[in-house]
This record gives sequence, C-alpha cells and structure tokens, in this order.
Amino acid sequence: MPLWFLRGLRRGVVTTRYPGQPDASAAQLPTPPAFRPAALTRDLADRLAAICPSWALTRNGDVLFFDAGACTACGRCREAAPGAVTASGEFELAATDPAHLVKRIPLLGEGGS
Amino acid sequence: MTAVGPDLACGRPGLPRLLSQLGYDARAGAGPVVTVSVAAADLEAAVRRLAAHEGARLADFFASGGNPAIDGDPVVLRLVWGLDCDRRYLVTESAIEGERYPALSDIAPAAFAEECEIFEQFGIRPAGGKPLNRVVLPPHAGPDFPRLGRPPAQEPAEVHAQHVVGGHAFEFPFGPVRQVGVESLYYGLVTSGEEVVDLYLFTWHKHRGVEWRLRGRTPREALFHVERTEGLGAVGAAWAFAAAAEAALEAAPPAPAMRARAIALELERLYNHAAATAALCQSTGLTVGQAAAEIALERLLRLNAAAFGHRYLFGVVDIGGARRGPDTAALRRGLPGAYGELRHAADALLATNSFVDRLEATGILTREAARRLGLVGPVARAAGVATDVRADHPAEPYSSRPPAVATGQSGDVLARFRVMLAEAAESVRLIGELLEAGAGPGGADLPESVTGRSDRSGLGWAESSRGEALAWVALDGSGRITRARLRPASVRNWRGFDDACRSQNVFTDIPIIEASFWLTVAGTSR
Repeated sequence: MPLWFLRGLRRGVVTTRYPGQPDASAAQLPTPPAFRPAALTRDLADRLAAICPSWALTRNGDVLFFDAGACTACGRCREAAPGAVTASGEFELAATDPAHLVKRIPLLGEGGS
Repeated sequence: MTAVGPDLACGRPGLPRLLSQLGYDARAGAGPVVTVSVAAADLEAAVRRLAAHEGARLADFFASGGNPAIDGDPVVLRLVWGLDCDRRYLVTESAIEGERYPALSDIAPAAFAEECEIFEQFGIRPAGGKPLNRVVLPPHAGPDFPRLGRPPAQEPAEVHAQHVVGGHAFEFPFGPVRQVGVESLYYGLVTSGEEVVDLYLFTWHKHRGVEWRLRGRTPREALFHVERTEGLGAVGAAWAFAAAAEAALEAAPPAPAMRARAIALELERLYNHAAATAALCQSTGLTVGQAAAEIALERLLRLNAAAFGHRYLFGVVDIGGARRGPDTAALRRGLPGAYGELRHAADALLATNSFVDRLEATGILTREAARRLGLVGPVARAAGVATDVRADHPAEPYSSRPPAVATGQSGDVLARFRVMLAEAAESVRLIGELLEAGAGPGGADLPESVTGRSDRSGLGWAESSRGEALAWVALDGSGRITRARLRPASVRNWRGFDDACRSQNVFTDIPIIEASFWLTVAGTSR
C-alpha cells in the first residue's frame, strides 16, 4: 500500500476544473449540428432528413425540426451540406423537458418558401 | 506468457482432405472463404466429421430464410468453421424442411447457444426435445414480436440450463439492474453462501433487434446500427460487417484506408484493456489502482477523440474503406504518454500482492473447455488456445505485419490480465508501424446494384479486443440487405463464463471473473 500512496503523491491531482472552467478536450468531442437557415431549402432539408440515421431531422412546410435528443452527432448532415451545416460545439444538452431539445429552423434559402 | 507466431500456433492444413471426406472436390476453394451445400440428411454426419477434425473450430451457427410471408420458404442453416491452419473459413449451408434438424450441440457443444437463438428467431429446433434457453428474445415476445423468421409453433417456457439446488444450496437472484454504469444482466446464482455451485444468465434484457433492423437497408445505411451493436466494440463489429459487405460487392478498400481501420482497431483494443484493468481493480476493492487505470483509460479515450474525432471511434469504418483517417501528429504525440500511464499502473498492480492473490487461480478455464465451447480472444488465449484472426485469417494490413499472439496456460484471471497487457504493448507497436506506412480516409467504388448475380453474400471478420468478430451479409439485386448476421466475440465468450465461475470459486470471485472476460451484454443479445 505505501507504493500506491507514494505513487499518488507523485501523480498529483488530475481531475479537471470542469464545470468551473472549460475543459480543453471538449473541443475534440463530436457535437450536434448547427444550421444556417439562409442556406437551407426544402430540397436540402429533405435530403438531410433522409440521410439522418437516427431520425433527428424532419421537415414540416418551411420549417426543419431538429431533435437534439435524437441526434448522435455522427456528422453525416455536416458532410452532406458543409455550407449549410456546421458543428455547434455544444455538448451541454441537458433539459428538464425533452420538448426543449427540439429546435425549429426556418428554411430561408432560395426556393425555401 | 508465451508469444507465438501464426505458423507455430497451427498444425497441418487439412482443407483438401476435409472437403474430400465431405464428398466435395478437394481442389475447391481458392479464396479465404469456402462455401459448400450440405443436404439436410447429411448434416449430422458432416458436423461429426468437422467437429472431429483437429484443425476445425465452430466459429458461428445461424439461420436465414424462413420468411413467414412466403409459404414453404425453408430455413437455411449455416455453420461457419474456422480452419485456422488453412487460413480459411468453411461455410456449410443446409436447407431445412420442417421444424426439426439434428441436435448439433450433442456433437459440437459450441452450437448450443445458437440452437436456442435459432429456435427463438426461426421457430425450428434440434431434434430430441432437449430444453432450450431463452437467450435473445424477452419473455413478452409474442407471435407478432419482430423476428428474423417464423415464430415457434409453441413459445418456449421460461427455461434455463439444468442446475442443481440441493443440500444447503439456495438460488440467489442478482440483477438485471446492477450497480451504476454496468449493463443489465441477470445472474441466477446457486450457492451455499460462499461457494458457487451453479450459475446461469439471462441476457435478453438488452435485445434491440439489431439484425432485424438491418433488413432492407443498404450496407452503408446499416453500418450506423452495426457500430451500435456494442458500443465498446464499434470498430471490430463495423470492420467485420464492412468486410462481409465488401466480399458480397467484390470491393477492395485501398491500403491507406485499411491501415486507418487497423489503427482504430488497435486503439479500441488499448482502451478496452485499460477499462478491463480498471474493472479488475474495482472488483478486487483496490480503489487507488482503479483510479490509476481510469486515468490511463481517460487519456486513451481522449486520444481516440484527438486522432479520429470520437472517443469510442464511431464513424471510422466505411463500406469499402474508412470515413476518417487518423490525426497522425496527435497520435504520435499522445500515444506514448497514454500507454505509459497504463503500463505504469499495470506494473504497480503486478507488484501488489493483495491484487495478484485475488487473480491467481480464480475463474479457471481449461484449454479443453475453451476449445469445446469455441471461445475466442484473450479468454481463449489465456487458456492456451492461440486463435487470433489477425494472424490466422490475415487481411491487409495484418498480412504484411502479423502480430505476435500472446498466450497463457493457466486459464485463470491472472493469465487473462497478462495476455491483455501483452496485447496492449503489441497494439502500440503495430500502431507505430501503421503510422509509418501511412493511413488515411478513402474508399473503393461500390457498384450501384448487384443485379444479375446469384451469389450475393459474404463473410467478414476482425479481431476485436474481445476476440474474433464475424459478420455474414446477403444482399438482394438492388444491393439491400436480406439477412445480416452479426456475431461479436461476446456471443461466443459468455458461454464460457459460467464454466469459469463454477471452477472452485466463491461468491465474491464472480465480479473479478466478469471483469477479466470484459464482455458486453448488448453484443450478445443484439
């Protein structure tokens, strides 16, 4: 046991300061997408909804609904439309109501309405 | 600890003689997978010959067909035999008319769990009326529950393997909800209070119908679900599945993409072995050792994210290649430190008598039991069965740089721990070589459809951190999946767990044995 005690003293504190301070490694985490409404059309929204493997995207009229609770941050939508979709960088997604995780994104691109 | 090369692990190749004994052209099978049709009437005799052949091991057993929408659609049984000395797989196909087939597990005990699964999913059972366990579908699975084929004419009773409750022994139910962060698993423990008399498992709580969900999808669409079969084995499962689809589509991934896959696979092995080390510490009550191993684990997971953009390496493998390549600089910068953390923790653990004493002679699996049950991975290698598909059935990049296969002899928890540590060191060496050779994303051109070709199936494999992962895929003319069989290593190795637990162990040894097996319930119940 003295071996482990000395080893611990040498190793020091390794826990991060999160959430008091940001953790640098968070920048490497995959995060849900962020959408640029001005670049989204109905056609593009349908295409993105079709390729989403976890059914996190649905279109209703001129609105794209994005369920961050269903999203796995796989990046397929971002790869398919890099001009309209970027990584949000958000990973603190906790909500008290699942409905709060659903975002309405208006389709403002040319041909969107 | 012994390190063996692939040639030393094998006896003489025997495929030509085997095919000749089965009545086939001995020159058949130039490729890595040889498929032969065996009439249902000849199936028992064929399995007897194969099971008696020293160089053959039953690697998988599954069914397809039996579509309830097609009247009289027969169930086709496929047995996959690993002919490791020949570096081939032999697949036998047998169409079964009716609801019975020969009891193959009486000849090859490794077939029993699959006989149970085939009964649940396709409604046909081995002759002889032996009790079958419930292994995949939950008890509430009625006739309308999603299945791969027809439901059984009579639903199975809530049965489990025969066990003895007598004398002062009593049955102690444990699970399925266990401590925080541990998968759902039900233990039926028969104990006298200290010694484990018998043990059985219910694993169906995590059944998600993954194979059922893959039908009708393209292999690329299906890959997303395959990666989630068992989250801690995403790369191994995805590689095996992608290789099966590539065999069906006759696509050859480019070499840099194969090296990217291999780097991800070795990183997966590293973090899993670190996680198993932490679990061993937790199960032995060595909290400071657990913290040390978890520091190594966290560094390895962060390294995964830095190298491939995902802590658990999802999204690396693609059908025909790799979606992502490694960040070479990040790997070169981070790997020595992260592995060094694991190595230092392991060295300290091996110098801690109270830890080593709990591992030694605990959960012993004999070589004979490992062979009889068809076990794979570190569990089998620690018992002296040197099966490693990276060496036995090598695909690039392993064929040009075969790994040294670490084995043990004692088959106890300590032997499994030592095998894992040796494998972690070998993974680091392999990653270095693969980085030198160059790795990156890329893919082969895949055909739009596969119309006009009759044989649209393929077998794929990979050596995951838990051992040989297999996948078999059949496609229709439009390139959509008609049947996908996923066989992660967990499917094989849980059947050795109860054997290991019964071998002169006490109640408190079970968490230690479970940590040393380091399997997933999700992978086995799928």
